[in-house]
Amino acid sequence: MTENIYAPHLVTIEKIRNEAEGVKTFTLTFKDPVERESFNYRPGQFGEVTVFGAGEAPISITSSPVNKGYFELSVAGVGKVTQALHLKREGDIIGFRGPYGNGFPFDEVKSNDILFVAGGIGLAPLRSLINQMFSERNKFGKISILYGARYPALLCFRDDISRWAELKNSEVLLTVDTAPDNGWQNNIGVVGSLLPKINMNIENTTAFVCGPPIMIHFIILDLLKLGFKKDRIITTMERRMECGLGKCGHCNIGEKYVCLDGPVFSYQQLEELGENI
Amino acid sequence: MSEMKILDKTKLVEFLEKLMPDFEVTVPSYNNGNLSFSSMAHARPEIDFAGRPLVPPKEYFFPQQEEMFTFATKEGKATIKAHINKDKRVIWGIRPCDLYGIKTLDSVFLSRYVDSYYHARRENTILMGLNCNEPCEAGFCSSMGTGPFATNSNAFDLLFTNLGNQFLVEIGSKAGEELIERRANLFATASDEEKNKSNEIEKQCKQAFLYSVDQDRVKAALTKAWDDPLWAEESKNCILCGGCNFICPTCYCFNIEDIADEHEQNSTRVRYWDSCQLGGYTQMAAENTRKTQAERLRQRIYDKFSYVPARHNGAIGCTGCGRCTEVCPSEINITHILGILGRQK
Ligand SMILES: Cc1cc2nc3c(=O)[nH]c(=O)nc-3n(C[C@H](O)[C@H](O)[C@H](O)COP(=O)(O)OP(=O)(O)OC[C@H]3O[C@@H](n4cnc5c(N)ncnc54)[C@H](O)[C@@H]3O)c2cc1C
Ligand code: SF4
Ligand code: SF4
Ligand code: FES
Repeated sequence: MTENIYAPHLVTIEKIRNEAEGVKTFTLTFKDPVERESFNYRPGQFGEVTVFGAGEAPISITSSPVNKGYFELSVAGVGKVTQALHLKREGDIIGFRGPYGNGFPFDEVKSNDILFVAGGIGLAPLRSLINQMFSERNKFGKISILYGARYPALLCFRDDISRWAELKNSEVLLTVDTAPDNGWQNNIGVVGSLLPKINMNIENTTAFVCGPPIMIHFIILDLLKLGFKKDRIITTMERRMECGLGKCGHCNIGEKYVCLDGPVFSYQQLEELGENI
Repeated sequence: MSEMKILDKTKLVEFLEKLMPDFEVTVPSYNNGNLSFSSMAHARPEIDFAGRPLVPPKEYFFPQQEEMFTFATKEGKATIKAHINKDKRVIWGIRPCDLYGIKTLDSVFLSRYVDSYYHARRENTILMGLNCNEPCEAGFCSSMGTGPFATNSNAFDLLFTNLGNQFLVEIGSKAGEELIERRANLFATASDEEKNKSNEIEKQCKQAFLYSVDQDRVKAALTKAWDDPLWAEESKNCILCGGCNFICPTCYCFNIEDIADEHEQNSTRVRYWDSCQLGGYTQMAAENTRKTQAERLRQRIYDKFSYVPARHNGAIGCTGCGRCTEVCPSEINITHILGILGRQK
């Protein structure tokens, strides 16, 4: 008998953290000790989360694979499943199947300078990669992180951000579209407005971009204008997903399935698929 | 060519009846004037029909809606029960186009990650095909290479050809062979004369098709047709009923949804067919990635003639059965669309 590819594994919610307005981070452990030990993933991969009675939703793994024994998901409560998840408490049981998808390149970009550009909850999959890169810090060049949200309360992963800013040969710049007048010290403007503020050796830089579609669109245009090669711009695509396994049809871009062949693509690949970015 | 047998036409029902204790035997039958697959337990098999049932046999492998799991959650515990259907079934009278449709579904559900639900139903079903002596009304299987006679690129355990008073029976699998061996007294060995007769019927049938599609030209045209005005023009009368997808023997798209009981302690996870022609198909929280009907029609045609072949070693994703044209209330016509593409330079 073959394994049922759609069967969720039971996981326990160990911890819930309020990450930002409307976003919670869940620390999860598999109930089955074998699964807990063997579970491995690459940054950029995702899984299908089950809230029993509500349904399934695809969510990126935001923890880094260097953390063993547990994993984390950061979830914005936007609809049926994600809002039901927000109502769960520590100790509750949910379901998870994965990891799915290809994940970000890692070995391929060693010795490069790395530029991260993220908007809102889009930092979640990149956080996994950023933390993995910092765990092998000397294998990468300069690491620059540009992160924005519509307003300050929507910025996620504040603890990570202050830690990253302290690390050597790295910089973190924050921005918001609008700020209330109480004490926002950083940039105001779209995340692209941070690009002129950093020094880059573009020849040797790989850019990772993740966020709402409109942000990805404009950042890619900015990066191309700055002289980035198409295959050095890496992004993740979001599509409606039901199965995560290349069966249900929903997530296709041309002949590729985002769930199987993505969600990580270079701009070059997306252009070849005829996708309008 | 595999071994051929002869079955007297008058003995077909006897052969099928003998299978009934072990299998749910499913046959084409007329209900209120419409041909459809039905259980032989309460339907008389139609032996000399032309064309194919409007509804393909897809639902026996990939039902319109099926239960995948039931979940029970109570006091910090959760249990998961999967519902895998292993009923034994024989389907007789499946036309070559539909045998090819099953092959297409195989390539989706049985490749890379095996879908246990589809796999169990497929494993437990014997396919008995029936070649076509004459073209059906809207079919263009001949130019798709999927009919009117089945070949190795169609899925079958036994394949019947109507020779008038007898059926020529080709054996396509071990399971098919065993069924014949167990009823060996009903079958005779086919002679060359009978095989020649079958070849002659095939040749004549192929010459009689009203519609043909130049597959290679369509594929070539699609490499340049992305921004063609034809998608908007041909889709402008679409009323978004999804019928073309739901009736299609090769369409495989589905949604997964949980249905909870009142107290939300027990729930059932179901999957059900979805249609790429419907607006919600690509709907996400922040946006819809296919906003216009032109993009959705383009998706349907590209999936059949470009994406499925790209994913599955060049195998075309349309059987040429013509059903989508037949059911469309807005007269969106696949042969017409393929004709426009085939004529493009
Ligand atoms: C690879 C990938 C990774 C992701 N990672 C994350 C992550 O790390 N964190 C995160 O928060 N999110 C992530 N997402 C997004 C997340 O999957 C969605 O927000 C989630 O699926 C929403 O599910 P829901 O049940 O809560 O919302 P739903 O109730 O499904 O609704 C969402 C919205 O879509 C609409 N909608 C849904 N279905 C239909 C339909 N059939 N027809 C019309 N409208 C419809 C609803 O009206 C609603 O506005 C990711 C998505 C992908 C594809
Ligand atoms: S499309 Fe071809 S194989 Fe199918 S019923 Fe019509 S003639 Fe027969
Ligand atoms: S696309 Fe139309 S003609 Fe082709 S297999 Fe589907 S229903 Fe038949
Ligand atoms: S999510 Fe089902 S095919 Fe990609």
